[in-house]
Amino acid sequence: MEIVLETNQLEKKYKNFKALNDVNIHIEKGAIYGLIGRNGAGKTTLIRIICGLQEPTNGTYTIYGKDSPSDILKVRKRMGAIIETPSIYKEMSAKDNLIEQYKLVGMPNLDDIDELLKLVGLEDTGKKKAKNFSLGMKQRLGIAISLASNPDFLILDEPINGLDPQGIIEMRELILKLNKEKRITILISSHYLDELSKIATHYGFLDHGTIIKEITSFDLMKKMKHKIKLKVKNQKEFVKYFEENQISYEVIDSKTIHVYGKYNLSQLIMDLSKKNLVAEEVHEQEESLENYYMNLIGGSKND
Amino acid sequence: MIKLFDASFTRLRKNRLFWILSLFSIALAFFMIYTRYWDMKTYHDSIEVEQLMLNYSTMIGIVIAIFASLFLGVEYSDGTIRNKIIIGHKRMHIYLSNLIVVTITSLFSYLLFLGVVACIGIPLFGSITIEFKELLMLLGCIFVTTIAYSSIFTFIAMIISNKTITAITSILLAFFLMMVALTCFNILEAPKTIQEASMVDGETKIKAVPNPKYPSKEKRKLCKTLLDVNPAGQMFQIAGRATPNLSVFPLYSLGIIVIFTGVGLVFFQKKELK
Repeated sequence: MEIVLETNQLEKKYKNFKALNDVNIHIEKGAIYGLIGRNGAGKTTLIRIICGLQEPTNGTYTIYGKDSPSDILKVRKRMGAIIETPSIYKEMSAKDNLIEQYKLVGMPNLDDIDELLKLVGLEDTGKKKAKNFSLGMKQRLGIAISLASNPDFLILDEPINGLDPQGIIEMRELILKLNKEKRITILISSHYLDELSKIATHYGFLDHGTIIKEITSFDLMKKMKHKIKLKVKNQKEFVKYFEENQISYEVIDSKTIHVYGKYNLSQLIMDLSKKNLVAEEVHEQEESLENYYMNLIGGSKND
Repeated sequence: MIKLFDASFTRLRKNRLFWILSLFSIALAFFMIYTRYWDMKTYHDSIEVEQLMLNYSTMIGIVIAIFASLFLGVEYSDGTIRNKIIIGHKRMHIYLSNLIVVTITSLFSYLLFLGVVACIGIPLFGSITIEFKELLMLLGCIFVTTIAYSSIFTFIAMIISNKTITAITSILLAFFLMMVALTCFNILEAPKTIQEASMVDGETKIKAVPNPKYPSKEKRKLCKTLLDVNPAGQMFQIAGRATPNLSVFPLYSLGIIVIFTGVGLVFFQKKELK
């Protein structure tokens, strides 16, 4: 699998404060990578470094396998980004903003500007200045600008901040459309975990400037799905029973087994007891991304 | 860098400030011609059209300060400077393209003024009274000093990320440079002696005595240097045509351009864009 972005022990210091500390992330081509972290975790700093707006104190990063400054400058042409707020000329119309960006990128003609405006749902804005747009419209114009260079890697920093529910739905649909139809790899940072869980294929959890976990959506779903946690003594016999009855399970440690799937808890306990399998402790859990994240960062004690 | 120019000039054409400043240059030319024409008719003054051509130089610094701070400041206030970096433009190219756009706009503003003065002033007041070569030299010096002004105000606009602070700093600096130039002028123009009246035996006698405000040799040298290095001082001297040696002005201006652009490039290269 081709890696679009990889960081190696990236570090950013502001005097005595470490905003990023040995950050290692890996983004595969075609992924929607959700970068999760609370405010001040270092998400925007990481994105600014990747976009060339800031220099790391230590560490390196590669974009499409390129790590030298001159090569990175070249591959940046394949990137688009919105960082915090959309970078648009507020005194210009949507179309004029795009013309400006097309000229910056060096596009040979301006023919597909209307198509791009249509893609982000701004085709009817006419000469209306961007300063009079709603926040959602500004965000979509920001995305259109970042798409001007036909990028295959898009970075969106908190793209749904401040959007109303309708705006959030439109943004989600647009991101999915770009990923599915245009095959654009997307790095999206947010602290709206529920919203991210609807689109991300990969996650990176950032806390206090450190990536504490990278996980695919598939693996995360496995961890998040309904599970029964058993504390047992005779683990082998339990495992044998689950194998024989084709019950999805995972051995966590010498005493803990997780059983995945929607089972009736009482029925399962009864079935097990018929085989003389008695668990010391039984817990039923249904985890959300939020729970998973809170467990990862150590729960509310860190708040 | 061509892409950066293309984008900047596209924005310039649609920029209201650019058109306002262009109209200001034209309106100023008309105003100066009208007042001088009125003087000619009322007081029978003889008007030298070349003097009119040089007059705009004394205030071009303020025009550049306003334009550079607001036109470039928008890139920070709207965050659009990030778009240039994200898609891989070199910071050096971004800085230099902005400097060139500010310079071209400033020169364009002066040329507009000159065009109006030449087209209307010459038929009204007659042809230029000095040698054409001399006029070209004076205008050449003005243009080089205009580039020096552009380099100073581009430096400020590229280093300070806040548009309002950039505008205030630039405009105040433009006025400060003018104030320094005028102060130096006043010091240098102090007469060596002043007349002192005294009564001796009921008779008033006037005699020349040394002026206590006459600057020392070192102070005169310092003031002259300050006047020559300062773009506003250069412009005042050119407009007043009181310059003993025009050839040093471009050298000083070149020094200003190299220093401000060099330092600006170094700072901008390391600037963290948030």
